[in-house]
Amino acid sequence: MDSKSLLEGSKLWVVEARIQLKSSLKDPEGETILRDLLHKRGVSGVEEVRTAKLLRFKVRSHSREDAESLIRKVCDELRLYNPVSHTCSVRVGEEV
Amino acid sequence: MRLVEEVAVTLTSEEREVVRKRLGREPNIIEWAVIEALWSEHCSYKSSRNILKMLPTEGVQVLVGPGFDAGLIDIGDGFVLSVHIESHNHPSAIDPYGGAATGIGGVVRDILSVGTRPVALLDSLRFGEIESSSHSRWLLRNVVKGIADYGNCIGVPTIAGELEFDQSFERNCLVDVMCIGAGRREEVVLPMATRPGCLVVLAGNTTGRDGILGASFASQSLDSDEEGKRSAVQIPDPFIEKLLIDALTEMFEQRLISAVKDLGGGGLATALSELAYKGGVGVDVDLSMVHRRETDMTPVEVLVSESQERMLLLVEGQKLERVSRMLEKYELQFSIIGRTVEERFVRLRWEGTLIAELPLSVLGDAPSVARASRRPEYLDTLRNTPPPREPEDLNKVFLNLLASPNISSKSWVYEQYDYEVGVRTVVKPGDADAAIIKLPNGKLAAVKLDGDSKKCYIDPYRGAMWIVSENFRNLASSGAKPCAIVDHQQFGDPGKPDVYWCFKECVRGVADYCMAVGVPVVGGKVSFYNEDLVSGRAIKPSPVIGGIGLLSDEDMVTTLSLKRSGDYIVVLGVTTGELGGSEYYEYIHRICGGEVPLVDPLSDWQLIEAVLNLRRMGVLRAAHDVSKGGLAVSLAEMAVRGRIGLTAELSKLPVRGRVLRRDGLLFSEGGSRIVVEVDRERFREAEMALRRHSVPFAVIGETGGNEISIKMNGEQVINLTVGEVEERWHYSLERLMEGYS
Repeated sequence: MDSKSLLEGSKLWVVEARIQLKSSLKDPEGETILRDLLHKRGVSGVEEVRTAKLLRFKVRSHSREDAESLIRKVCDELRLYNPVSHTCSVRVGEEV
Repeated sequence: MRLVEEVAVTLTSEEREVVRKRLGREPNIIEWAVIEALWSEHCSYKSSRNILKMLPTEGVQVLVGPGFDAGLIDIGDGFVLSVHIESHNHPSAIDPYGGAATGIGGVVRDILSVGTRPVALLDSLRFGEIESSSHSRWLLRNVVKGIADYGNCIGVPTIAGELEFDQSFERNCLVDVMCIGAGRREEVVLPMATRPGCLVVLAGNTTGRDGILGASFASQSLDSDEEGKRSAVQIPDPFIEKLLIDALTEMFEQRLISAVKDLGGGGLATALSELAYKGGVGVDVDLSMVHRRETDMTPVEVLVSESQERMLLLVEGQKLERVSRMLEKYELQFSIIGRTVEERFVRLRWEGTLIAELPLSVLGDAPSVARASRRPEYLDTLRNTPPPREPEDLNKVFLNLLASPNISSKSWVYEQYDYEVGVRTVVKPGDADAAIIKLPNGKLAAVKLDGDSKKCYIDPYRGAMWIVSENFRNLASSGAKPCAIVDHQQFGDPGKPDVYWCFKECVRGVADYCMAVGVPVVGGKVSFYNEDLVSGRAIKPSPVIGGIGLLSDEDMVTTLSLKRSGDYIVVLGVTTGELGGSEYYEYIHRICGGEVPLVDPLSDWQLIEAVLNLRRMGVLRAAHDVSKGGLAVSLAEMAVRGRIGLTAELSKLPVRGRVLRRDGLLFSEGGSRIVVEVDRERFREAEMALRRHSVPFAVIGETGGNEISIKMNGEQVINLTVGEVEERWHYSLERLMEGYS
């Protein structure tokens, strides 16, 4: 079977993978934004800033679950993050 | 509480007995934590210090030798150069980006600990076979990025390095960083508490749970992904490091600090104890005063936390206000946590209450551990490996060898580094055999890191000597006279007699070489337990040598590229045929074994003096040592870098021993050799000088054309254009890492 017939009837999904330092770890960039930008400019009420990287994939697949598991697999196996220091959460957004 | 149960687990029952006897009572849990940190192999050198005594450490230029955070060399005119080497192997194996970055941070703070400012970084990296292992490629990519980012942020250039790939590093990569510092002699301070009444100030990063439970973390499977788990991973913060560098430099200039000490392995426990027992003065510190990142930390956690980018400062009372102002100016957080005291104790408090009290006499000198040592039997098998049949087509073999990750250009790595920041870099990476930097007194220094684990596995003693020889030839080829080294010795579990024997032999090799030529070892490091937890296999023995040489003036700077057509190519030194541990055996024939080259330090030294003399006379245009890949690769690199071809006749090489085959002449890494380009018109002068220095040499060919043509008795062996060679040598590593073909 060629790839065209495989994907017949499929839809395009937006899948987002969010990679960030584990909450127990220090986040120097977030701290710097909080301390050197927000606090110095007199912004009050903000207690913490944490940074993250967001990867946005457009995935063609038959179901929402397939799209999600494909991206989960891609992130895990191709080492888009380091499980020792990061968490990676994957969620499927709207159908395009 | 889990942490308490795990305190002092690494001490042996004999060591616990010694502690009880010295103290005259049972220590409490906090005291055990201090002793455990201080008596760890990492801090105490308990398995290695008897062996390290073999190394010569004294010299006229040595101000401070091993034993402090960095060695200090007097470079004249009231200036000093400091040097230290560290590894961050285990952290880099689980978090290559953060592990390598924090490794740099640590060695930079060692340089600050002796009152000097970091001016250059070098790195020495070892990974598994990147051609077959995507894991090793991932490690290499992220380690290089970690080094590049951290170095760039703190404004210290990464100017040279060294890279080796071998199967034995697949699960235990080695990430070594060497840092060079410079300063004024009168601003030097040593990390020790020498007088009571100074305030103890902790400056820099907040203290969190980073690095706590490192050992037990390491034995857990790496795929667990629990959020919120207490983690051993240390997150680098180069911005704070940069502020520490600037603030401390300014405070050194104004003589505001009596002592500075980096917080490394064992955190405050180690730093406070070392300051105290090295200087013979006690400290009284309240751990609850430490500025913390997490609110619910226990005293033990504060004590052993390995949070990065922190330093302890000892400050006299009347200078405290100026120090506070300075730290505030740089927006560095700090806390005044205690003071130095007359009584020779380390006293720790929590909210005023005494929680630990250890006399200095208990802390210093962990008892030496006697280790059994036995020559491994596999060495005989390795040594007696029969030579392979000589391949027909050496042209093809040569092209394959050039593409070996161990040989091909490392430009993919160093082009990611900021090697020019600080405008001290005189020659760029890859242009000469060593990096050359300008020192604050206007003089020049050459620095280089070298290692060769493949040779050290087959013959640890010869291998270690060969590394020092290569290092010194690299310095000399760049125009510098070697003046001091640091060594980093990396092995598996020292409790295994085979491993311990290899360690002893490697140190003996370095000691014998340095003793013979009178170059001191001013510092170093030992890293044991580099073993695969699954298979129990140790890494190949991996001593790494960081050499420093001084250049008498700017005209001495020598690069390796061919400069002009029509000059002579001269090989200095005798070619010997040992191929054990050579890239030709390992990469082309997949043979691990054979005889490792034996170097002679005294003839090396004659060679070094001869090369420097030729340069001083102005007859030498280029110089390059013969190392990995042998003569053929050295010639290729000189031709490629200069974009000038050459001809060479192998039968002219001065050889020792039996008649060598063509492959031996081309690819042997034996003998101590340097290839030089000599001005044709002034060859007579060069010839006479070489005779005076009693250095064996031969003109083997000429520069010119656009081909690399190597013959044996007139018969063509290698014939390639410079372009073909460049394509192979220059782009192979990059192709492998960037994934295109």
